[in-house]
Amino acid sequence: MISTQTRIVIVALLFFTFSAAGSRAQMATNRETDTAAIKQSVASFADTWNSHDAHGVAMRYAEDGDFSSVKAEPSHGRKELEDHYNTIFTTFLKNAHTTDTVRSIRFLAPDLASVDIDWLVTDPAAPGGVLRKGLLNWIMSKRNGQWMIVIYHEQAF
Amino acid sequence: MFSIRMNSVFTFFLLSVPGAACWAQMPAKMGADSAAIKQCVAAWDDAWNRHDARATAMAYVEDGDFSSTTGVPSHGWKELELHYNDIFTTFLKDAHRTDTVRSIRFLTPEIAAVDIDWQMTGAKTRDGKDVPTRKGLLNWVVTKQHNRQWMITIYHESAF
Repeated sequence: MISTQTRIVIVALLFFTFSAAGSRAQMATNRETDTAAIKQSVASFADTWNSHDAHGVAMRYAEDGDFSSVKAEPSHGRKELEDHYNTIFTTFLKNAHTTDTVRSIRFLAPDLASVDIDWLVTDPAAPGGVLRKGLLNWIMSKRNGQWMIVIYHEQAF
Repeated sequence: MFSIRMNSVFTFFLLSVPGAACWAQMPAKMGADSAAIKQCVAAWDDAWNRHDARATAMAYVEDGDFSSTTGVPSHGWKELELHYNDIFTTFLKDAHRTDTVRSIRFLTPEIAAVDIDWQMTGAKTRDGKDVPTRKGLLNWVVTKQHNRQWMITIYHESAF
């Protein structure tokens, strides 16, 4: 014979167990969705970069985004970012093409992730066709449902 | 009428003061955290210059990520210690580094991105030849632990 009190405890335990399991399953689903969205954002950045659209590339950043070049020269905020991309797209990278492949994603918080990206910049005029290769390290933040670049670092090797 | 106005003023005062105090406290906390992060960088630099592989690795969180100047990764304390042990007993055994914090950007109150200018003397190539002074940029993600200590979660380095 099970007492009413015991029944209540069992029901409560079952409720919390299923809630926790449901919450974990939901988190895993959210993470998969966010991983896919981050990869999509990286692909969109590469597409925009390859069309040499300085404004479009700058808009992939958060409004107060930070960029740091291979020589650690910084650009901060969309205006400086657009100026930077405008300079490179009209000078030494005007015929360049980038291929960006996500290597790893580490979530720092549900709406914050560190993303490592292998990058290869080619130019038909460069020796062997390769202008630069290396690793990009981005910090991305989910803003209004969209993953944006908050901090961009690049290293060439 | 007067008492209703006084009540409103009093309520406004009650609501405003904690808000203002909170705003005033935020930069103070951020200042304290910036100082603690600089201390974390200095302690790591010190461990590195003593060529203490274990202490250098222990400045990371347990599942910390390292990536070398050529993008070669190490993950977690065991791999990190092995990595530092390798470099401290081979091509960087006589090396000395200087690390200067360039900027700190708080991503949340407990997560910060830190840019650090680094310079290294005494390095050699893998086959023992002298290398001129190396320099570059470290970019770290550091996180505040329950004991209020800041530790390295992600480490990237570039040389130029």
